[in-house]
Amino acid sequence: MTRGTQIDETDANILRALQRDARHNFADIARKCSVSTDTISKRFRKMKKAGIIRGTTILLNPKSFGYDCVASIGVDVSYPRLNEVVELIQTIPEIVFFATSIGREDIFCIAVLRNVGKLSQIKDLIKGHPLVRNVTTSIWVDEILLCPENFEFGHLRK
Amino acid sequence: MDEIDLHIIEKLTNDARLSFRKIAEELKISPDTVINRYRKLQKKGVVRGSTVVINPKKVGYHCMAAFLVDASSMHILGNETNPVDSSLILHKLISMPNIILATKTVGDHDLLAIGVARDFEHLIHMTSEISRIPGVKDIQVSFWVEKSSLCPKYFIV
Repeated sequence: MTRGTQIDETDANILRALQRDARHNFADIARKCSVSTDTISKRFRKMKKAGIIRGTTILLNPKSFGYDCVASIGVDVSYPRLNEVVELIQTIPEIVFFATSIGREDIFCIAVLRNVGKLSQIKDLIKGHPLVRNVTTSIWVDEILLCPENFEFGHLRK
Repeated sequence: MDEIDLHIIEKLTNDARLSFRKIAEELKISPDTVINRYRKLQKKGVVRGSTVVINPKKVGYHCMAAFLVDASSMHILGNETNPVDSSLILHKLISMPNIILATKTVGDHDLLAIGVARDFEHLIHMTSEISRIPGVKDIQVSFWVEKSSLCPKYFIV
């Protein structure tokens, strides 16, 4: 298994600062790393070019946009025709993320919905597919804790 | 929220580092207005924060998984039996390294956490760490093989 692209302590400091706040001032990061602001912006661009950084984004509260229900959906599929079910899932706009998986379920999805009624409709839709054996749903309770800064770069540790 | 708010949100979703000055120019309003609008959106909880989206594979993290956690109804500690507070489990989960999202759930399981791991061994280690949290009865892992690309509007997976 590859160890991934090598990043040094300065790169890691940039990533750590931006994980907490993507708008973090480069001059401030530069001061903490004892390098020039120019170095920080160069490193940032370099990591973007290398694909280490996919981008920066703001995190929105779905409720503020009228989406009152967030849920995960687990789908069990009759093998080996997973792709046919994946195709169906891709057509559902409420499903903002999905992953084919090993373990508890075959496909794991996250859906952002107007209400629980919509979740029920989508559950029925997926369940209606002839290759789907079972669908389980879990509604996420209000208190969703996001902590992107928990993501450590363990291999950097000495 | 009005058109101006939505425009600011759209721009920052695609690039959270975009300067307020640039957004202001586009909207033909003052940078101060943009700053004030952004602060208001933060205060109202519409914008919960901002982050950098990292490709985990590029920094040596090859696994992602969802941990589906069931809490036991009672927690036995020595001779004492206490009802389990799933909020405590939730806060333990989110304070673990490499757990990037945790939530209580209603339905198939009691809690859900999403984590990033270096390899399979690391993933197993994380699973056993979670199983050691007091009050955790059962844990099932959904190990992601192939995931959709996601414009992380609400989440950072």
